[in-house]
Amino acid sequence: MTAVPTSWFLLLSAILFVIGAGGVLLRRNVLIMLMSVEMMMNAVNLTFIALSRHLSSLTGQIFVFMVMAVAAVEVAVGLAILIELNRLRATTDVDDVSSLKG
Amino acid sequence: MPIEIPTLNFIALAPPLIVIGTALLVLLFDLAVTDKRVLGYLGLVGVVIAAGVSIAMGPRPATTFQAMAISDGYALFFNLVFLATAGLSILIAIDYLERHDLQRGEYYALLLFSASGMMLMAAATDLIVVFLGLEIMSVALYILAGFNWRQLASAEAAMKYFILGAFASAFFLYGAALTYGATGTTNLNQIGLWLSGGNSDPMALVGLGLLLAGFAFKVAAVPFQWWTPDVYQGAPTSVTAFMSVGAKGAGFAALIRVLRSGFGDSAYSADWALAAAVLAVLTMTFGNLAALPQKDVKRMLGYSSIAHAGYILVGVAAASESGVRGVLFYLLAYAFMNVGAFAVASALERRGEFSTTQRDYAGLSQREPLLAVAMTVFMLSLTGMPPLVGFWGKLFVFRAAVEAGMSWLAIVGVINSAVSAFYYLGVVVQMYMRAPAEYSPRLVGEESDAKKPAAVNLEVAIGTAVLLAMLLTVVLGLWPGPVASLVTMMPLG
Amino acid sequence: MPVDQIVKTVVFVIFTVMTLGGGLGVVVSPRIFHSALFLVLSFAGVVGYYVLLDAGFLAAVQLLIYIGAIAILILFAIMLSRGLMAERQSQSNQQWWIAALVALLIFVVLAAVLWRVDWPVASQQALASPSNAISQEGSQLGRDLLGPYVIPFEVASVLLLVALIGAVILARETES
Repeated sequence: MTAVPTSWFLLLSAILFVIGAGGVLLRRNVLIMLMSVEMMMNAVNLTFIALSRHLSSLTGQIFVFMVMAVAAVEVAVGLAILIELNRLRATTDVDDVSSLKG
Repeated sequence: MPIEIPTLNFIALAPPLIVIGTALLVLLFDLAVTDKRVLGYLGLVGVVIAAGVSIAMGPRPATTFQAMAISDGYALFFNLVFLATAGLSILIAIDYLERHDLQRGEYYALLLFSASGMMLMAAATDLIVVFLGLEIMSVALYILAGFNWRQLASAEAAMKYFILGAFASAFFLYGAALTYGATGTTNLNQIGLWLSGGNSDPMALVGLGLLLAGFAFKVAAVPFQWWTPDVYQGAPTSVTAFMSVGAKGAGFAALIRVLRSGFGDSAYSADWALAAAVLAVLTMTFGNLAALPQKDVKRMLGYSSIAHAGYILVGVAAASESGVRGVLFYLLAYAFMNVGAFAVASALERRGEFSTTQRDYAGLSQREPLLAVAMTVFMLSLTGMPPLVGFWGKLFVFRAAVEAGMSWLAIVGVINSAVSAFYYLGVVVQMYMRAPAEYSPRLVGEESDAKKPAAVNLEVAIGTAVLLAMLLTVVLGLWPGPVASLVTMMPLG
Repeated sequence: MPVDQIVKTVVFVIFTVMTLGGGLGVVVSPRIFHSALFLVLSFAGVVGYYVLLDAGFLAAVQLLIYIGAIAILILFAIMLSRGLMAERQSQSNQQWWIAALVALLIFVVLAAVLWRVDWPVASQQALASPSNAISQEGSQLGRDLLGPYVIPFEVASVLLLVALIGAVILARETES
């Protein structure tokens, strides 16, 4: 027997999920929100793996595999949007300055 | 160890595969073609072929792809909805991108990828495939929302859509995980089998709730609607047209299959029907009340799309065959009238400006009679006026609610439609009763090519989109029979 | 209690402190750079759980993707944008108490359900041969991905392509 029952893992991932959800709702910084979403996905992965072992079915692990691919995709796209946003904010500021002078 | 090669039934997924193939071709030709409009037309050809294949597959028995996806009538009908939306949106984009100097080949590839994700969602019979379809659709839409690389509003729309979309995906995933924990499978039919055997598990109920929350975000239902107006307003109008119908349709396609195949014959079927009814009332009412004071037409259409998600939820709440049929008809109708309205809005946008206010419509009947007539048709159809296709959509959905013993829900829907007439007809009043507004420069030193509001250059492709959408809105309104009977022949497999 | 169990329990507690502590650190930390480091800690804790749960292959993948790719990418993004690095993010949402209430509510529902669920049999199969299970699991996962789950596997590649195109066109330099 393993010492740690499945429900501990499930409860723990529920806590991690809620911390992540709290981060998205509480913080206004985009990067922190992104990190919080990643933590939520981690919590889901942990749930899947704990259940996968409990049910001795590999479906949960396959799902986790896909979630990891999606997590990587989301970070790549999210950071690209962030870079676009920063670039536009920077140029917008410059425009503001020049219009003040004009 | 030898690896067994599985027998794969690619026919079952032919339409999305054609669309993905077309997207790859677009990417390839992008390297060689200098006039990117050609790529738009190439994408259009792929969309038409995929639609033809979907129709040809209709009468045949449904085939499955390894219990992961199915080509039943339901999925094929949704293919038509998504392909009609994609086709019209491509037509809009060809001219819209050209006018705003945003023309790039990747646009069409991303739009096609997004459409293929929607089609996968409608065909998926396993939560893994639902999830991946959802992500393909959403990720492509995040990028398209931020496609206008000169406008801060576009990047902000992309960011907002992305963060909240990823947040909603996490809820969807957690729901999938708990459902898996309760039933031991992610296959919708097996989930249905387990639940219909009289089994129940509080974990499955919480899982269902989280899945509902994830979908409610995608279809922009209250209380997950906050992102809608900002994203719709900030994204390029050609994207908003595609997103408003496509993402909503795909969300409903997967939601209804999950609810009916997975949780339909379970101890929870009354619970989710009630939840859908409550969401429907909140969504309709909020969307219509919030749309009333809007001056920006794109934003107004954004709020009104929330209201339409509410009407469609009425069909979901009916939890019956006729409810599903009503939703199918409604979404096809919505594809034509809503994309049509956005087509007119994008035709009126001046170069370098990315939205239109009510004032831009003043006196349109004198400047551009055709556009004014088309917009009037779309507005009346969105309101639900009788001879137009939007009326039949609402009728079928509300009738299903009455049949299911939810007359009160239908009444709330009718009252809401009456409220919506105020803001839809407001646009019509502007076009016919007001004189063209005097042009007042918004910025000192603005270029003179946009001096007068009169000069609307209706390009060929956008004009075709407006005309097609208008014709279908009128023709399907006058003869709803063929589509109505088509819908009855398209059961959930 | 045999020694083995005690060790596992202790290890579980250590990983819990890492995961939840790291998670709280991400959300609470005023400096965004610290948040990213806490994120790495939290991810590392989850790797430990995977090992405890006999999912050795996914533990390795988690290490590579979440820490090796995702966290590092975020760290790069922070360091490359000076403004973010210096920023002290103490301002929180105006309606923080509503958010906190909602989060708490979600947790109470989840905890109530997950705790009450009866888990009569822990899987005997997985427990029978723990060491064997790890080596078996990797190859079985590969077989499944190319067998019954071939469609998700292929579809994921479309998703990666979309992300690739998207990241390139969004992050490119503006044209002259």
